[in-house]
Amino acid sequence: MMNNCLIVHIPDKEPHDLHHQPTECVFASAIDPKHANQIVRCLNQIAPLEDLRHVKRIQKKVLEEGQIQLLVILCLASEGNNQLDSMPPHLQELISSYQLSPFITKVCKYAATSKEEWQEQCKFWPTSYHPRTYNIDGITGFSEEDSRSVLKFMQSAVELATSDGLETICAHEIMHVVNAAVIVDPSTKQIISTACDQIFAWNTCKDDSCYRKPELCSSRTIIYSKCDPHEKLHSNSPSNQLKQPYTGVACLYPRQWAEQKSHPQSSYYWHPLQHAAMVAIESSAARDRCLFPREENSEAKYLELDSENSSWTSSPAKRQKTACANGEDVEKLNAHGQGDHSQTSDQPPTRPYLCTGYDIYLIWEPCPMCAMALVHQRIRRIFYAFPNPKAGALGSVHRLQGEKSLNHHYAVFRVLLPEEVLHKCHT
Amino acid sequence: MELAIQQAKLALDALEVPVGCVIVEDGKVIASGRNRTTETRNATRHAEMEAIDVLLGQWQKNGLSMSEVSEKFSNSSLYVTCEPCIMCASALSILGIKEVFYGCSNDKFGGCGSILSLHLSNTTPLNNEVPPGKSFKCTGGIMASEAVLLFRTFYEQGNPNAPKPHRPLARQA
Repeated sequence: MMNNCLIVHIPDKEPHDLHHQPTECVFASAIDPKHANQIVRCLNQIAPLEDLRHVKRIQKKVLEEGQIQLLVILCLASEGNNQLDSMPPHLQELISSYQLSPFITKVCKYAATSKEEWQEQCKFWPTSYHPRTYNIDGITGFSEEDSRSVLKFMQSAVELATSDGLETICAHEIMHVVNAAVIVDPSTKQIISTACDQIFAWNTCKDDSCYRKPELCSSRTIIYSKCDPHEKLHSNSPSNQLKQPYTGVACLYPRQWAEQKSHPQSSYYWHPLQHAAMVAIESSAARDRCLFPREENSEAKYLELDSENSSWTSSPAKRQKTACANGEDVEKLNAHGQGDHSQTSDQPPTRPYLCTGYDIYLIWEPCPMCAMALVHQRIRRIFYAFPNPKAGALGSVHRLQGEKSLNHHYAVFRVLLPEEVLHKCHT
Repeated sequence: MELAIQQAKLALDALEVPVGCVIVEDGKVIASGRNRTTETRNATRHAEMEAIDVLLGQWQKNGLSMSEVSEKFSNSSLYVTCEPCIMCASALSILGIKEVFYGCSNDKFGGCGSILSLHLSNTTPLNNEVPPGKSFKCTGGIMASEAVLLFRTFYEQGNPNAPKPHRPLARQA
């Protein structure tokens, strides 16, 4: 199997079964080609088809004897009412003056989203098909090289989700597997941040100490290379029904935390909303703050306001070792959140706006909270391996990528992995 | 709600999108928050998330267990100047908040009726599983004009953080 067959685009709209696309009934009639121009012009005025813009008003049929017949759509036929007298009066006049004989036929209700859909639609009545005008890389397919890169980053996420890692210490053995998130800058193929669910053991914080150096991640590539991704990815066909419940995955069971009777280990902070994607977003924001400190004058203002109303910034958990890439005075940074470190000389010239242009890899389809957080943070593409049938917001329960009112839209892909990747790779 | 508006004004003064909130338990304000998305460069740091983090921090410092915290949330109400977005509405449902009162509705991102209705989460457990969210009561339109006025002021003075000059008159990212 080619690598690029393993990555499936999850479209904005629920896909229709190719052969069972929703249809609508319309009145149509054969017309004399000599009158076609007049009739169509008249119809566009008295009975415009606003919701069926993709449907061609007129179609040409070649009859057996080589004769050409023109058929035109007159108007919508309401369900269960095929009486001609339900038509608007203007239309009835038109019918009588050209001596038309209306009949009911079916047209496809929605514009085709693929060439295959369009071909099926034309079997009912011709429609027009406009391939999407925007393209986020991958919607129209992945090159072999891009696919390899996607699979490699997904493999990193699998590794995080299944490791006993330093970051995630779970209260119960059953919660061994958690969701994991890897944010990547695809233009440089650099990992921006990584995170696991930290519901039960939130040992990081809301300031810059969350940011870990990319080096830390790359040192792990040794571990990844031990388990050949190709062997695992191809070993089994993926299925939508996972055999195990994976109750430790926050986006699958967002309310699970409230059922915990026992006190979690007291040395750790826990947080019911620290789903992997949320932690990864904060971590990338911390990286941004660290690499691109704000100008001095505006900073003074923020510090002033901070003392007025501080939330987690007063938490002792924030006094963690930070891995600031520019190697600055760590203590100072921690003491002030956005401390004075404007003396950086080696900062790259352009600062990203949030996560614009970045991709995120998740093991499970995110819940609405995480999916919306990724809209807010302007993620460009989301790759996930397993669907979330009860709480998923990218196709399973909701479909945020298709909510037109949102101010940002990402492209969503599923990377088909066999469930076994979650069990094999304990290192 | 007046206290929530005050929080929103603090956000406005800090050049943040002006949204503020307070969380109330037994008629007493137990936490407040305001938008900090620009300051933190984390577009998920909405007022609601800030206030929630204050409470989680306090309650854990007091040694409460997860189920005790869950109980606390189920007795708390949120007052926020703008309808919670899809992310915050989902978070509130995960925490199991009792009730939400909001000012203006959020017809771009609203998660309490405008775009999605996450406050009406299905709470009947399937196959003995914990349902993904808890539903909560939601009432909008409280001091809405004050909340809208703050947004208007903000967008008139311009959003220095916006990548494009024009942003919708709803909640920023």
